[in-house]
This record gives sequence, C-alpha cells and structure tokens, in this order.
Amino acid sequence: MGLLLLFNGFNGLIQGAFYALMALGLALILGLNNTINFAQGAFMALAAYFSFTLTPYVGFWGGLIIAPLLAGALGLAIETTLVRRLYNRKDPIYTLLLTFGLAFIMQDMIRTIWGAQGKPLAIPQFLNQPLSSTYFFLTGYRLFVVGVALAGTAALFAVLRFTRIGIRIRAGNSDLETISALGVNIYLLRSANFVIGIVFAGVAGILAAGQLGLNPNMGDALIMPAFVAIVVGGVGSLVGSLLGGLIIGLASGITTAFYPAASEVVIYIIMGVMLVVRPRGLMGQEGLFE
Amino acid sequence: MTNQSALIDRRSVLKAGAAAGIAGLLATPEPTWAASEKPIKIGMVDPITSIFAALGHSEIKGAKFAEEEINKKGGIMSRPLQLIVEDSAGSPGTAIDKAKRLVAREKINFLMGTVNSAASLAVSQFANQHNMLFLCTGGHVDALTGTNCQWNTFRTCSTTWMLTAGDFETLFDKFGKSWYFITTDYAFGHAEQADYEKQLKHHGGTMAGSALAPVGTTDFSSYLIEVKAKKPKVLCLLLAGDDQVNCMKQIAQFGIDKEIAVAGALIELEQLQSLPENARYGWWTAEWYWKQPNTPHLDDFVKAYRAKYKGEYPSARSWFGYASTYAIKLAVERAKSLDTMKVVRGMEGLVLPPEVALQPNAPMYRAADHQLMLSMFPGHVVKGAKYPDLFDVSSIIPGEKLALSPAAAGCKMTYPS
Repeated sequence: MGLLLLFNGFNGLIQGAFYALMALGLALILGLNNTINFAQGAFMALAAYFSFTLTPYVGFWGGLIIAPLLAGALGLAIETTLVRRLYNRKDPIYTLLLTFGLAFIMQDMIRTIWGAQGKPLAIPQFLNQPLSSTYFFLTGYRLFVVGVALAGTAALFAVLRFTRIGIRIRAGNSDLETISALGVNIYLLRSANFVIGIVFAGVAGILAAGQLGLNPNMGDALIMPAFVAIVVGGVGSLVGSLLGGLIIGLASGITTAFYPAASEVVIYIIMGVMLVVRPRGLMGQEGLFE
Repeated sequence: MTNQSALIDRRSVLKAGAAAGIAGLLATPEPTWAASEKPIKIGMVDPITSIFAALGHSEIKGAKFAEEEINKKGGIMSRPLQLIVEDSAGSPGTAIDKAKRLVAREKINFLMGTVNSAASLAVSQFANQHNMLFLCTGGHVDALTGTNCQWNTFRTCSTTWMLTAGDFETLFDKFGKSWYFITTDYAFGHAEQADYEKQLKHHGGTMAGSALAPVGTTDFSSYLIEVKAKKPKVLCLLLAGDDQVNCMKQIAQFGIDKEIAVAGALIELEQLQSLPENARYGWWTAEWYWKQPNTPHLDDFVKAYRAKYKGEYPSARSWFGYASTYAIKLAVERAKSLDTMKVVRGMEGLVLPPEVALQPNAPMYRAADHQLMLSMFPGHVVKGAKYPDLFDVSSIIPGEKLALSPAAAGCKMTYPS
C-alpha cells in the first residue's frame, strides 16, 4: 500500500504539472483581458491538429513550435475582431458566451476538416517508453511534459518580471485605466497578452495529444481541470494557478490509491470546499469572488 | 473610394458564396420519382458529435449507402426511401428530443440508430410510447432485447453477452485464470463485466480486481498502477470509444502489454485507427470485419463503399447502418404495409439475405426477443499492423451459438392487444 501510495502521489504530481500548464494560459487571459475563455480547450485541440498536419513536414519538434504560433495567430484574429468589442461591457458574461459559442464552432470546424475519427499524434520513440521497470509510470514523455511545464512557467515569469511588455501586463492587471492614461496602448497590450495565453494553450494541447491522441472533443476533457486549478489557486494569481494545478493533480492521484472511481470527482470537491472556505482561492486577489 | 471598393469586394464574395451554395444543392443527384410517390421515411438518431461521433458517423455512412442503393434499385414497394439523420450527441435526453422532432415534424415511419446503450434504452421506451418501430443499430446493453425488451424494438448489433462469450474461452485457456477488469462506468460496461464474471466463475477463474472508470476518463495511469500491483494474467478492458483508445495508449507507454495479456470484449475499427502503431495489440471480438475470405458479395460491397467514401473501409458500424436500413426495407416488403405492428411481424424471423448479411452465416432477427443473430468475429490485433488490415479474425461464430436463449436473457415479449 505504501508503495502504491507513493506511485500514485508521484503520478498525481506529473498530472498536476500538466494541469498547471493549461491553467496558466487561461489565467493570463482571465487577468488582463478580463475574459473567461471557454474556447481555450478548442484552441488546445486546434493547435494539436495543426501539429498533426505539420508533423510529416517539420517533425514533432517543429510542430511543437509552429503549431502553437499558428493557433496564436488565429487567437489574434479572434481577439481583434470579436473579443475586443466586448471589453467595454463590464459583465464577463458577454465574453464568456462569445467564447462558449466559439468553442462549439471551432470544435465543429475541426470535425469538418479532420473528421470525427480520432487520430494518433506520433511522438519521438525515445520518449515513448518507461525509464525503469519499477517506476514504469515515469515514461520519458511524462517527464518531458513536466520539463516543458517548468520551462514554460519559468519563461512566463521571467517575461512578466524583466521585460517591458511583461511589466505593462502586470501593471494593466492592477489598473488598466492608469497605464492607459500613461500612454500605453492597451489594445495592443491586451492582444499580445491574449496571444501569449493561446500559445500556452497550444503547447499544452500538443503535449496532451502526444499522450492521449487527437479527437475533436479533446478540449472538453482538458479545460475543466484547468478552470478548477484557477479557482483553487486563486483567480488573478499566476503562482496560484500553478499551485492549484499541482494540488488537484496530487489529490486526484492519491484518491486513486483508495477509490479510483472518485479520482475525477475529487478535484471538484476541492473546488467546492475552497469556494466555501476561501472564495478568493489560495493566492487570489481579494474582492474578485468575495 | 477605398470604402466603395471594399463594398464591391464583399458583395462579390457574398455572391460567390451564394453561387457555391446553390451549385452544391444542384449537384446532389436525386433519383426522379413521380410527385405522387411520397417517400417512406426512416428517422435516424445517432451521435454526430460527442465522444461517440466517430462510431455514429460510420453508422450514418452505412445507412446512407444503403439508402442510395435501395433508391437506385426502385425504392421500397416502388416508393422512394428517405433517411433523415439527427444528432443525438450520445445523450439519452437529446436522443429523445430528436426522436420527438422526427416523429412530430418529419412524420417518419420508422426510427433507427443510437450508439451508446443509455440512449438505446431511452429511445426504445420513447418508440414504445409512440407505437413506432425502433431498430437499434449500435447499443449493446443486454437489457434492450432482454429484461427491457419491447414488442416494437429490434436490434442489429450484438448483446454484451454475445461479445463476451465470443472470446472468453480462448482468453481463459490461452492466458490464465486471474483477471482484472477496467470497466466503463455505465450500462454497457456494467453489463459486460457482469457477463464476464459469470463465465469466469463458471470456469473456476478468479477476479484479481476491478475498477470502474467514469466515461471520459483521460488519464488511466492511476488505474494501471493498481493493475501492475495486482499482477493479473489477463487485463480485461471494457471501455467504450475514445476511453478505450486512451487506456490502450497508456498501457503501451507503460509497457504493461508486454507483461500482461490485454484483452476485452469489443474492438472497433474506428478505435484501432486512432491508435498509434505501438499501441495496437490485444485479443478482442469484432462484430463484423471487412475482410472475410470466401464470403459472397462482400468484396463488391467493400469496393462500392470505398468508391463512395474516398477510399475509407467499412467498419462494423458501417455494416450496422447498412444492414439495419435494408432490414426495414425487407420487413416492409414482407408486411406489404407501413403499419407498425405488421412491419414488426414482418421483421420477426426475417433472415438477412447474403448480399445484406455479408458474412458466411445467415443472421435472423429472432422472433422471441428481436435480437439479430449476427456472427461474432473473435481474433487479435496483429502487432505493427497497418490500416486497413488491423485485425486477424481467428473464427467466425454464428450468433445463435453464443446468444442466451430469450428466456435466459429475461425477455418476456408482450404485444398491445
């Protein structure tokens, strides 16, 4: 039992790193764009399908870099033509409904272009095997996902801390009107932020597809844990989202050791408890949900 | 000036779009029927979206293929056949809503379809209340032609019992007594596991353990850790659709398929197609396969189907759609009427002719429980196999050898007086 618990705990952390990566993109867009982006899952799926199409020409690694950028370009188009028009409406329900609809449109578009039939995404063979027979759940690919999650997070925090655009994004998060008055083009800033969020979604989508394969609905299964991670970690806090992802991954892993059927439910229970006890989440700003 | 040219641009784009739309409408070839000949309408409720979409699409393709063939050959009793498809999204509630719409608005004569068991049971109930024949194409739950059998419901695909009986003994003899089940947590999975457990007990096997996985589970690693710890001889996967695909991929990534025999009841061509080569393995039962040596009419069917669908090979699901559409036509012709009760009587005992059956045995819709006695195709997936030849059929077993008798399945058919 002890070993099994250890296995499941480790496995949960790996899963959690994955959730965290997905949650980061979502949290970014939620912050500066004030948009609950329900289409994030669809963007994940779309980037994964792009990489599926690109892989024969540029290989897995090329796809991993180019496909999220393509998704980002589409994100830019959607942000400038649709999402932007709704910024002036204070109620986030408008953007929520817009992105909810977009999610359906994008999912059907994928089904029309690539078909309803699931497809495999080939990953490099050296990643696709367990590292040892005792720790068989540590496949090269899973560690790679954790590595990308860590690197992606580090890069994001570095950008936010040390670059001009990053500092502006953070400033915009706390007071958009003031930085606008100081001469920052907030439209440009919000577009850039949206694109970064979508690129993150794209990377997460491709990594997920490497493990789970592609199907038009894949975004649905991926987006809910990402939302839960944000609520648990705290709306408005990127560190919180990261932590939230890890916590729900770990909780889900440990639950499996005792009662596998509840492993998916447990993350929602954690969310429910969190909303009752501490609605702002672990590290969230006060006042967003309170 | 720039504004004006932009306007013209947009207009011409719109015009082009409209033209393309009209051209699309005109391009659809419609057989010419006299205006007085009203079509006979089959309403088909099948998942076009949701995790069951790939299976639903195959069934619809098969049904449309049959519709086209039937209309080319003069329709049903010299009336055209019209197939009207609605999306059930794999949900019982939506399936009923769509069935309602088909009945009320389209005035359909017959209902068919459904992939997942929960939707099949719901639509069967609905059809019963509306005095309408329902031919279930693809939901496997035993109860549909067992304890919940209805006078108006028939089924083309197999029961879960037939699926499990198809390969149980082979697996048991070949791999061993101790079994572990990973089962999808809804009617279909529960029924399959109960059936396997019954046979396991009967043969003196043991349960190493079992786990229920909710529909839509994406990460099976935690289940697999448990499986590794229990060290069963056979890991029996009773999952549906994409869940099975995800689980098989993770088993391959963890290298478990090299230590434990992985098997299960149902495998579908759609699932094998979406697996990467290294995750194609295991012992399963197919309900129909496009490659059978010496089966009459089969090669012509496969050829014509591929010609219609861009080289795609028909799956068991395509055959369900195809055979079901023909079964309704044949039953109507036998009944010489569209009256529900008469067509029900026409379908009872109906034997599918070789050009529809497309298998060596002659399957019949059993009168006592309305279950088609289709053959089962147990076999295994050849390592490193490439599409379309992914499955090696070891034998083709006539359905009546595997199916429970209607009494044992618990069907007591009652008819409205």
